[in-house]
Amino acid sequence: MYRQAKYDEPLIFELGKKGRRAHLPPRCDFDRAKIKIPEKLLRTTPPELPELHEGEVMRHYVRLSHMNYGIDVGTYPLGSCTMKYNPKINETVARSEKMMYMHPNQPEETAQGLLEIMYELQVALADLAGLKHTTLQTPAGASGEYCGLALIKAYHDDHGETQRNEIIAPDSSHGTNPASTVMNGMKLIEIKSQEDGRVDMDALKAACSDKTAGLMLTNPNTLGIFEKDIVEMSGVVRDAGGLLYYDGANFNAIIGKVRPGDMGYDVLHFNLHKTFSTPHGGGGPGAAAVCCNDLLEPYLPVPTIDYDKAKDYYYFNYDRPKSIGKLHGYYGNAAIALRAYAYITALGYKGLVHTAEQAVLTANYAVRKLEKIDGFRIAGGQDIPRKHEGVLEATPFLRNYDVSGMDIAKMILSRGFHAPTVYFPLIAHEAWMVEPTENENKDRLDKYVEAVAEEMDKARADPDYAHHAPKWTAVGRIDSGWSVRNLVLSYKIMKEKLENGEEVP
Amino acid sequence: MTKGFKGHPYLANSQKDIDEMMEYLGINDIEDLYSDIPDEIRFKGELDLPHYKSEYELLEAIKAKLSKNITTREVRSFMGGGVLDIYMPAIQDELLRRTEFYSAYTPYQPEISQGTLQSLWEYQSMICEITGMNVANCSLYDWATAVGEAALMAARITKRNKFIYTAAAGPNREAVLKNYVTGAHLELASIPYDPATGKMDIAKAKDLLDDTVAGIYIENPNFFGIIEDELDEIIDKAHEVGARVVIGADLNSLALMKPPAEYGADICIGEAQTIGGGPLNYGGPLLGVLAMKFDRRDTRQMPGRIVGITITSNEGERAFANTLETREQHIKRERATSNICTNEALIALSCAVHLSLLGPEGYKDTAETMYLSAHHVAEELENNGVKRVFGSEFFNTFVIDLKIPKDKKKEFTDFMLERKIFPGIPYSFDGETFDYVVTTSYLLCEEDLNDYVKAILEWRK
Repeated sequence: MYRQAKYDEPLIFELGKKGRRAHLPPRCDFDRAKIKIPEKLLRTTPPELPELHEGEVMRHYVRLSHMNYGIDVGTYPLGSCTMKYNPKINETVARSEKMMYMHPNQPEETAQGLLEIMYELQVALADLAGLKHTTLQTPAGASGEYCGLALIKAYHDDHGETQRNEIIAPDSSHGTNPASTVMNGMKLIEIKSQEDGRVDMDALKAACSDKTAGLMLTNPNTLGIFEKDIVEMSGVVRDAGGLLYYDGANFNAIIGKVRPGDMGYDVLHFNLHKTFSTPHGGGGPGAAAVCCNDLLEPYLPVPTIDYDKAKDYYYFNYDRPKSIGKLHGYYGNAAIALRAYAYITALGYKGLVHTAEQAVLTANYAVRKLEKIDGFRIAGGQDIPRKHEGVLEATPFLRNYDVSGMDIAKMILSRGFHAPTVYFPLIAHEAWMVEPTENENKDRLDKYVEAVAEEMDKARADPDYAHHAPKWTAVGRIDSGWSVRNLVLSYKIMKEKLENGEEVP
Repeated sequence: MTKGFKGHPYLANSQKDIDEMMEYLGINDIEDLYSDIPDEIRFKGELDLPHYKSEYELLEAIKAKLSKNITTREVRSFMGGGVLDIYMPAIQDELLRRTEFYSAYTPYQPEISQGTLQSLWEYQSMICEITGMNVANCSLYDWATAVGEAALMAARITKRNKFIYTAAAGPNREAVLKNYVTGAHLELASIPYDPATGKMDIAKAKDLLDDTVAGIYIENPNFFGIIEDELDEIIDKAHEVGARVVIGADLNSLALMKPPAEYGADICIGEAQTIGGGPLNYGGPLLGVLAMKFDRRDTRQMPGRIVGITITSNEGERAFANTLETREQHIKRERATSNICTNEALIALSCAVHLSLLGPEGYKDTAETMYLSAHHVAEELENNGVKRVFGSEFFNTFVIDLKIPKDKKKEFTDFMLERKIFPGIPYSFDGETFDYVVTTSYLLCEEDLNDYVKAILEWRK
């Protein structure tokens, strides 16, 4: 049984009262009268920040936390997002004073310990990638994609092939792929997938031309299917003069089993918050690492973190004339990189390989069991083994009972499980994308499948039950259309609306 | 199955579980699930990684490496540049460790994620209170990427492709801006600063500003700490020609200074690590702010996630949800306003906690301390013949004229380090010698400030 906590928790602004203090910061004894801000730039009304005492701040956020759901609360089989356990020791090391209180501009000789860790992480990730060089500057997966594509563009420009501005990607790709392509000023050439979910080789060949900058492809793809013809694809793209980009979102499936560099890829990004266990934080911060081969190395963002073996000294290298420049104010999310380093160290090589194996085993087990529930069918080739995830289609259920994939997802929330990724990839219909990760044991998976089956039984008997799900979550089914029509985006807007006599819930 | 599996704390299944699942799938070996991968590309080597480590060994190994670092708790930091040393109250970290928050994904399932959503809406609201704007997104990566996103947004809103920006924005933000706009082919022009005052050259800015310009980026106080107090004319002109005004503000300064919305900014950006988002963390994770004046059309050009108030379908209760999602990559793909997906949500929550703890009084207190500490140091130095490079009014940052030659930089750094001081951010005006951009946080006491002055004077001898 699952009952998420529910409070009628006021806005924090509604809880305060003038004169309450929750924290006393250090305060110097200088004469306040000495402050001289130019008259016309003087602030006249203080910002309306909350005024509470410490205990009340604590209660507000603890109550809000009770109305939230994390991987430590229960099963979170969110396809494409790799929600794995966030080891607590990672949090402990990241809270070391020797990590937290490091200014990015302090002399590099005072940051040798951290630079050593970042350097070693770069080497380990390059090794896992089957490539040679790494940057940790990209603070998120999309930033990694932007960086990798910029490297490809820079390569072509540098070789006098400025006309190469097309990135080919299958219609099953992650939404960030096309968005990152366009942000790089390149054009997306979307190619249709085959029936079985794999890239259509003929479509790929037809898409290639002297305008091709590269192919962007995650492997295994978003249906959880390995693109077995990757070597041939890589040849086709390479013959056309293009390069290959690997979206590492699905890397958890293949760690140590097959390396993107060996498949023919030139560049990739890893999501440290997916494969390497750092927390998702309710949306971030994550971090990405971009690995590439010698072809693309000259263009990596500045600075790179390099090691002078003779002097046993780690340093920032800004002397990179062909670099694409900077993608972050500093060196990316260093505190996230430290967590990923701890994760890799804790598992070692064999542990990482076991991780991939268990992730693939649990995914196949869960998907093959779910597939047997009346109303679901598997998307993509029937007999192909899945990797870290699999996609089910709830089309038969929708047709027979008027209950959608989203309705089933909401029903499963009522049971204390997080929903899968729904309606993605776009090539599947009523998609239910399930990725349990190595974090789920067989017993949990059995309970999960049983709960899905039971909820679907209830929906068969009473479709309205499904339409009104979830129950037992902090709030019932959300009408997000209301938010778009009314746009109450801040307390300021809320106050304006109330002053104008408008109703705000 | 690789041999020798004996279980690991991060792996959920025992050999027995594994066997049962394999039996269900009708396979004898996990390898069968990889059988579709061509043999020619399978990895057969050994990765160059060590064997697993126990938690104790791991902790000790990382501690040993990190012990080589010297922190801003061991050495007094006079460095800012867009990030700042802060104190994180015990309760803040206690709340950040609420696993319901940090082990959650993006709140795409709002019914089960009200905690994240409400706290992000409250964060957006606090940013609006501080900047005077009325809509803020729930985070970008950092201030530098916010400059890039703001330029792209101004271009989308105005459908123009030229963007002008102050040269007094510091090298990092300028570098990221340059990178971000290449794909959109925006033409950039930098507005020089007056070498005497350190303020943006208004006359030059006016020359660059015409009806082909999408937006103008101004920092206030700027990278050199200088308060830009003559902006009326240029902001009026920008609006006359239909350009958008983007102000990059030191968010601490806004405790004392007029919010950008009140003097004509359309968009306000900045770095919220400095107002309590989190510790320095060697420059990441940070917390990029992007806020604007609400406009039914223009707000749809904002990048990143935005949380709005909404209602539940059945009961009509107040609730929170991601809104205006049709701007985002997971819906719009190549037509999205930005590629950003994972952002800095937990740091935004952390910042909201910090601001809730400070309240308006604490927020003002810390800003006043920063201001007065910086002015104390500047005044003492000036009394002893070390002049500021720019004579204008400043907040908590100023530039001192040390002109340290390239080959003496290390010597200077070591000299200051012996006195337990990080002297500031080295900044080269001529490419040959270094001046220092000096910033005070609210964590330095009077003795620290006086030690700094003493050390600089000693070096000068």
